[in-house]
Amino acid sequence: MPLVAQQFLLLVGKDLKIEARSRQTIGLVTVLGLLIVVVLGLGLGGGAAGGFGATVVLWVAYLFSGVLCFEKTMAVERSESALAALMLTPISHGTLFLAKLTSNLALMAAVALVITPAGVLFFSFDLSAAPFTFAAVMSLGIIGFAAIGTLFAAVVSSTRLQGGLLAMMIFPVALPLVIASTQLLIHQFRDQLPVGGMGLGVLVAFDAIFLTASWLMFELVLEP
Amino acid sequence: MSGIQSKFVRSFWIVLALLFAADLVLIIRYAPDERSMGVIQKIFYLHLPVAINTFLACLTTFVASIAYLWQRKGWWDDLAAAAARVAVQLCAVVLATGMIWGRAAWGVWWTWSPRLTFSLILFLLYVVYLVIRSSVEGRERRAVIGSVYAIIAFLDVPLVWLSARLLPDIHPGSVQLEPAMKLTLAASFVPVTLLAVGLIFTRFVLNRTDSVPRNSAQANAPRDVRTMPLIAGVKAIRYTDGAL
Repeated sequence: MPLVAQQFLLLVGKDLKIEARSRQTIGLVTVLGLLIVVVLGLGLGGGAAGGFGATVVLWVAYLFSGVLCFEKTMAVERSESALAALMLTPISHGTLFLAKLTSNLALMAAVALVITPAGVLFFSFDLSAAPFTFAAVMSLGIIGFAAIGTLFAAVVSSTRLQGGLLAMMIFPVALPLVIASTQLLIHQFRDQLPVGGMGLGVLVAFDAIFLTASWLMFELVLEP
Repeated sequence: MSGIQSKFVRSFWIVLALLFAADLVLIIRYAPDERSMGVIQKIFYLHLPVAINTFLACLTTFVASIAYLWQRKGWWDDLAAAAARVAVQLCAVVLATGMIWGRAAWGVWWTWSPRLTFSLILFLLYVVYLVIRSSVEGRERRAVIGSVYAIIAFLDVPLVWLSARLLPDIHPGSVQLEPAMKLTLAASFVPVTLLAVGLIFTRFVLNRTDSVPRNSAQANAPRDVRTMPLIAGVKAIRYTDGAL
């Protein structure tokens, strides 16, 4: 196995092992996501917009849970100057980014696996017409969101900025994901139209652009 | 600023004011009223040039941010910050004129149409950029973080535009203009573009005067002067400890 792959697996394994032992992030983030779905469900009166409100509500839950998740996983590196030690090792910063992104994606996937069924259930959102389209659109959205989230979490953690600023940095940048995925799902499930090329193109382009840009710029923002 | 420079700046603003006055005369007297919308359509002569200049200001921030990360020269960062501030101001004008137009055309102040949504998200992206800059301590760190965010924000702009087009639209697809209207629109670009350039330049000069003397004063200060308060504090604590 190439050295880079070994380093990558080692870093991801380290993050997931820490999380498995401490369970600090996953519990907190999942409960927060569920609370958001419940509060918005109650506020909107359940089956708002014929169940399609679920897509927007799920995005709100993903956004807030994601921000907390990225903040927590980066905070782990801050404790006892772990990041400074990590930066001294002969591991490229690009590999550090990819490993951190993968850990964040694993955590977000676990959170989404709990929040999404809850949202679909509470809003009576019938997914039977195209369950794979729903999963694909949401997965593409979460990948792009995690890419910018990992980069900005490194930015915020390297300064003395307040936690709220991470949300402020991520939310406006992530809005194309929210608009494209919600519109795509409304087209698919409400209007019974096949998923359009442009909407899917926006999601794929967002992922490609921000995965590359974040990977390239992670080195600049990383500071012990 | 030397005497010649200040004279040039003063003449620039006077000429700009005269150009705006001439443009206003063209808009009110020369350009004909639009058939369906009437006089409110004339806001378009301000709306479009300001929107184009907002984009140019964002582009300036993007280019200056890349140049800063490339060369690490402080004046690139000052230019990026100046252009971003002007972009926010111009975008606020775009939003305000868009809303006034929307009220006259569709009877509502706000609708989630692609263009209005795009302008709002663009405005938010660059407001966040300014907030981040004011929150980060340390000039160099602020410049790096600001540049990274500015690049990400600008890369986001086409995606915001494309995603906003998925929303239902009530804007006219294309606008047919009479020759007199086209001429007035072209003439409006001159003062608005000069205003944007003037504002960016003024802000850039302010940013430079704000950052350069302070940095050079710190750099030139003798080491003992900079550490004097700290040494005095340590001595005072020792003295107090001894006395106690």
